Amino acid sequence: MIFYKKKNKYLSIFIFLLPSVLGLIVFGILPMLGSLSLSFSEWDIISGPPKLIGLDNFVNILKSEEFWRVLNNTLYYIILYIPLILISSLSLALLLNNNFKGIKIYRTLYYIPVITSWVAGSLIWKIVLNPQFGVLNNILNFIGLQGPGWLYDQSWAMPGIVLASIWKDVGFFGLILFSGLRGISPTYYEAAKIDGANSWQRFKNITLPLISPTLLFVIIISLINSFQLFPQVMIMTQGGPNGATQVMVERIYKYAFQYYKMGYASAFSWLLFIIVFVVTLVQMKLQKRWVHYES
Amino acid sequence: MSHNKLKGSIFFYFSATLIAIFMLLPFFWMISTSLKSSGSVMTIPIQWIPENPGFNSYRKVFEIFPFARSIFNSVFVAVATTLITVLSSAMAAYVFAKFEFKGREILFSLYLATLMIPKQVTMIPNFLIIREIGLLNTFTGLMLPSLFNAFATFMLRQNIKTVPDSYIEAAVMEGSSQFRIFKDIILPLVKPTLATLTVITFMEAWNRYLWPLIVLTDRSKMTLPVGLSLLNGQYGEQYNLLMAGSLISIIPMLLVYIFAQKYFEKGLSVGGIKG
Amino acid sequence: MLKRVSILLMVSILISLLGFTSGVLAQDATEVDFMTFSGSGSNLEYLNQMKEEFEKENPEIKINIMTVGYEDYFVNLQTKIAGGMAPDVYELNYENFVTYAKKNVLKELDTVIDQNEFDKSQLNEKALNAFQINDNQYGLPFSFSNVVMFYNEELFDQAGVDYPDSDWKWDDSLAAAKQIRDLGQHIYGIYQPVTFWEFYKMVEQNGGSIIDEQKKEFVINSPQNIKTLEYMIDRVQESNVMPTEAQLSGMQDWDLFKSGRVGMIVTGIWAFPDFAKNIDFEWDIAVEPGNTQKATHFFANGLVMNKKTDKSSEAFKWMSFLSASKEAAEIRVESGWELPAITDQEILSDYTEITPPENRKAVFESLNYLVTPPVIEQFAEMSDIINQQIQAARDGLKTPAEALNEAQTQLESTIEIN
Repeated sequence: MIFYKKKNKYLSIFIFLLPSVLGLIVFGILPMLGSLSLSFSEWDIISGPPKLIGLDNFVNILKSEEFWRVLNNTLYYIILYIPLILISSLSLALLLNNNFKGIKIYRTLYYIPVITSWVAGSLIWKIVLNPQFGVLNNILNFIGLQGPGWLYDQSWAMPGIVLASIWKDVGFFGLILFSGLRGISPTYYEAAKIDGANSWQRFKNITLPLISPTLLFVIIISLINSFQLFPQVMIMTQGGPNGATQVMVERIYKYAFQYYKMGYASAFSWLLFIIVFVVTLVQMKLQKRWVHYES
Repeated sequence: MSHNKLKGSIFFYFSATLIAIFMLLPFFWMISTSLKSSGSVMTIPIQWIPENPGFNSYRKVFEIFPFARSIFNSVFVAVATTLITVLSSAMAAYVFAKFEFKGREILFSLYLATLMIPKQVTMIPNFLIIREIGLLNTFTGLMLPSLFNAFATFMLRQNIKTVPDSYIEAAVMEGSSQFRIFKDIILPLVKPTLATLTVITFMEAWNRYLWPLIVLTDRSKMTLPVGLSLLNGQYGEQYNLLMAGSLISIIPMLLVYIFAQKYFEKGLSVGGIKG
Repeated sequence: MLKRVSILLMVSILISLLGFTSGVLAQDATEVDFMTFSGSGSNLEYLNQMKEEFEKENPEIKINIMTVGYEDYFVNLQTKIAGGMAPDVYELNYENFVTYAKKNVLKELDTVIDQNEFDKSQLNEKALNAFQINDNQYGLPFSFSNVVMFYNEELFDQAGVDYPDSDWKWDDSLAAAKQIRDLGQHIYGIYQPVTFWEFYKMVEQNGGSIIDEQKKEFVINSPQNIKTLEYMIDRVQESNVMPTEAQLSGMQDWDLFKSGRVGMIVTGIWAFPDFAKNIDFEWDIAVEPGNTQKATHFFANGLVMNKKTDKSSEAFKWMSFLSASKEAAEIRVESGWELPAITDQEILSDYTEITPPENRKAVFESLNYLVTPPVIEQFAEMSDIINQQIQAARDGLKTPAEALNEAQTQLESTIEIN
């Protein structure tokens, strides 16, 4: 660690952190505390102040079959989504990180899904995933496989949503990883080439360690985000068929704003929070084994 | 050798184009739908080329709400939000990456914690806070929360951590102020990340919808996504209008991205420094 | 670079502080805030015409219209109410109206009605009564729509079936639907979605109900309800006169009708302007067929007043203008923006004269069979539970009986009828 003069150091910390931490307290921590206190209350939002009811919300949620079912659905999404998004966005970043002619055009094209609205995206995906006329099942058919019912089939609806999410997110995480790749000095690769390393060795020994801080960021953010999966579900399946794609935040939204149970929704959110927090904590502990901040 | 190179480039163009076409399908559909008359916009098989293409939907979108005004508002809000977020987050990220102090890890985990609670349940408390400060129906109230952005701070922290300590130490020896170190050493070294973050923050600020809808009540302060949401009817959407509106709103995000591309190249300008 | 950035930053903060915060106008007129969803989008034009008329007649009142798209209307409204900043007058659809009234956030209107000597007989009685709770008026009808059966005359001709009339029963429409279905692989007989809205109504068409007459308990799994659901589902799975979700694949019901691929569709009269403009084949409407009895559904959006408003007299003037005035009604009829809930025969006869559809009087005939949905405080939760179950049956994941039994169990354990 760097040696700073003491007086200087704390003044710098203070000044550099001030705007951000002020925002953190007022617009981050305070609202969280607000929702925490709501989670111990009964509140329909519209008719007067919340009423404290202790742990009832938490007890009722944990006793409900629904909570475990939507948690299960959410985890199913995560298990499918995380490995796919990591592999695809890293591949995309590597693909974009070269100097072919016209590469800038491709970089722009791949960004377009990120800014395309979910409404358009999900409509197309509904058609791509159509069991009878859809592109995907036609391809599967061609190679001799019987395509599933996708969004209309209880066990295939979630994989369908995963595919659409990958389409939407790969450009986003690909861009972040790409900017990480841009920070790696070409001199490493030149040195490795002289040493006779092949491309796999170069990837394993140079790219991966040097991009590991960005990779950690991508893993943590994509995990946090996928626990909060929401808009694509609302647009593509509304939680169906038969509840197979009901997920945590979909329930939270419904309880908060449609069922007039903000207290229940807040407690639901805090249970979700605890789960995500523990998962992230494990990630942060594990990072010491594989993330290299300095070469 | 050159044979290999040729094979490589053929492989690249082939796969890159294939992926691009696939990824852009919805985008093509948006364009095609926006050119359709209000007749049936959804058919199976998809009608890619509209029968009587026209710019009617675009004209209608312009009529429905104060369009020029809302674009101006959106540009202002998105640019200011991006500046505030990137600067304030870079400053905080520098501290988290390069200063050691008591409670640093706990403070940082509070940042991450704010990402883990669904916005659906913190929105009303946030609204009440803005009301208490007296900033309802102001652009300041809309943008002030972006002073703090855990995503941006985390991303920059990861990047600034990779800047070798020796660079900073050398500058400290020379008597540079912390502000100078931040400005002349840290920021230039993380330029690709700053560029990426600018693109992402701009996109998020530009697409932001529920918060401006709630904070701003004045019609003259309406942002573009809020205006576009008016196209949602009680009994279903008019897709051709919706797509025309969405396409217009994509343009600024695309421009920012293209502009930022320039800085993706410049990460190494300080002489292959990361070694 | 950084310098430029920070200067830009300072300037933008300054602009936002100075230029935009001082937006408050000094005005002598009383300002009434009005929030609406049905006035959003292309209807805003007509709403603005109404506002202009009103402000001309009442120069001492200024109306601030806030339009919000339907999807986010309630999130926005609830947040505003939580912050004590509810608009003076706002719009609620019928189901939410009941929830809001029961939660005691609406102003009871009887006193203002008397003060303003408002003549209630100007309004359609059913529509007006819909906005009463325990004999107290809590809202006025804003717009009014009902649901009828639309049919494609060309497909009927091709299949050689007689056009529907008011005497039709379920069997008649099913028979016609089957013959039309035979016209082609992608031609369907009827579209009437398996949703709560259709289900509760068809249940009544078959002499059943969702909640018993004493309003004490759910009776959703009664034998005749199971029969009703079987009828609905058979149309999808057995005879396939109605497309499955996969066959539909995201295509919207109106588009299906407009593209000439379905013989009959049960939907609201708010489709008139769109269909009149965008359909080039001949079409008409009829009263929806029933089974043991007829039952038709109406949608009403109501205008309500914030309980805490201190401008109740001005607010009421605006509400009653939108609801009952001749001027507003005329603008509505002319633009085809649903139906005004008034009794003025002159304006209503103007409405029947507009074609297509030829048989516009079916709209008023249908009013004779109106049934209202079982609205309770937990309406949204109830309809979600029912939707999930009947749609599982539609998709073939459960039998109709299993679905309704499951719905009954869930409703009993989570919903209080009040």
